[in-house]
Amino acid sequence: MLIQFLQDAFFAAIAAIGFAAISNPPKKAYLLCAIIAAVGHSARFLMMQPDVFGLHIVAASTIAAFIIGFLAVLLSPYGKMPAETCLFPSLLPMIPGIYAYKAFGGLIMCLTHSKEADFDHYFFLFANNGLTCLFILLGMVVGATLPIFFLKNISFQATR
Amino acid sequence: MTKAEEIYTDTDLAESDRQTEERACLQEICLFLSEYSAWLLGSGATSIRLERNVRRMAQSLGCEAEMTILPRHIHMTVCLPDRSECYTYIIATHPMPISFNINTRLSRLSWSMADDRIGFAEAKAKFKEIISTPPTDKHLVLFLASCANAAFCRLFTGDWAAVGVVFLSTLAGFYLKQVLSEHKVDVRLIFIICAFVSSVLASTAGLFSLGNTPDVAVGTSVLYLVPGIPFLNSFSDMLDGHYICAFGRFMNALVLTSCLSLGLCGGMMMMNLSMF
Repeated sequence: MLIQFLQDAFFAAIAAIGFAAISNPPKKAYLLCAIIAAVGHSARFLMMQPDVFGLHIVAASTIAAFIIGFLAVLLSPYGKMPAETCLFPSLLPMIPGIYAYKAFGGLIMCLTHSKEADFDHYFFLFANNGLTCLFILLGMVVGATLPIFFLKNISFQATR
Repeated sequence: MTKAEEIYTDTDLAESDRQTEERACLQEICLFLSEYSAWLLGSGATSIRLERNVRRMAQSLGCEAEMTILPRHIHMTVCLPDRSECYTYIIATHPMPISFNINTRLSRLSWSMADDRIGFAEAKAKFKEIISTPPTDKHLVLFLASCANAAFCRLFTGDWAAVGVVFLSTLAGFYLKQVLSEHKVDVRLIFIICAFVSSVLASTAGLFSLGNTPDVAVGTSVLYLVPGIPFLNSFSDMLDGHYICAFGRFMNALVLTSCLSLGLCGGMMMMNLSMF
């Protein structure tokens, strides 16, 4: 369990650095993104474990995003960066990409299957994946933006 | 001409001179703030940050600014505090890849102006310097993105063989994305082609029986294309009440996700794999 937890944190950090690189961050942001993403993603991993909290992925992502948002707002003034510069790349490893394209795949399958039972099955997959994806995204952004609004003075003056 | 008439004409001229100067100045400020907004929004800033930065800068220049943020345009009005002069300009947002570096530096610029560390002329010079910031080295991005996607595969419980396959298929797909972007190919077409290529390459894990998790390899091989920042920006704008901008950004992200799914479905169909 501990090894899995540490592995989750380590790979989330690598994922955050790589995906951050795509969106051209300032050099100082890489390290902060890696640390914040590692803490956030491993926290979500822990919360989703059935023998720890066993939370649903939406709830776990929201709380993890809140932790990420809080850390990003507190740490971003050290790099003189807007909170989003650390925040958004750190959230990227939690983006529900697989749910998103499975929803689209389900939709295509709906179109190619006209029998009611098959259609129902694929429509279920489309709706299930699509709704999960939407609510994870919504939960993540609500969770991550709350600290920005709670700590407005820090978050909007970080680049001062 | 009587003395009074002479004085009257003089003051009138002086007044109209002052007004012309003010208008020119206001016009310059409005054009600068519009240009600033077009770049800040293009670099991937949220609407709330854009509004705050622009208001802060306008205030430091002794005027007020209000704007409408549309998905592809910004409508900027700058006026004097007593509303005696107004200037409006509509500018198209600057199409560019997301850059948090430019976003960060433009935000710093707004504070430098607000704290009176630099004047208008200096701010304009600094702005020119910021927008010519080169993007991160593309070979480095290629390597880091491939590592990130491989790490993603591991996070989704893929075994080491799957991780290796995902690394290579991302390397190929992302390189193709960079080449096609340089040739100014339509971004939607790029997403379809890259997702197709990456998924076909990743399906070799199953084809040559590499490892025990070939399905994870195919599923995670296209995740580098998921438009995460536009999704996050869209929901962030929505929470802030910028519904039109939020909807625009959401549609943009949705279209790109659909394109990547289309490419993935095509690749899986060609390799005779099923998504579910």
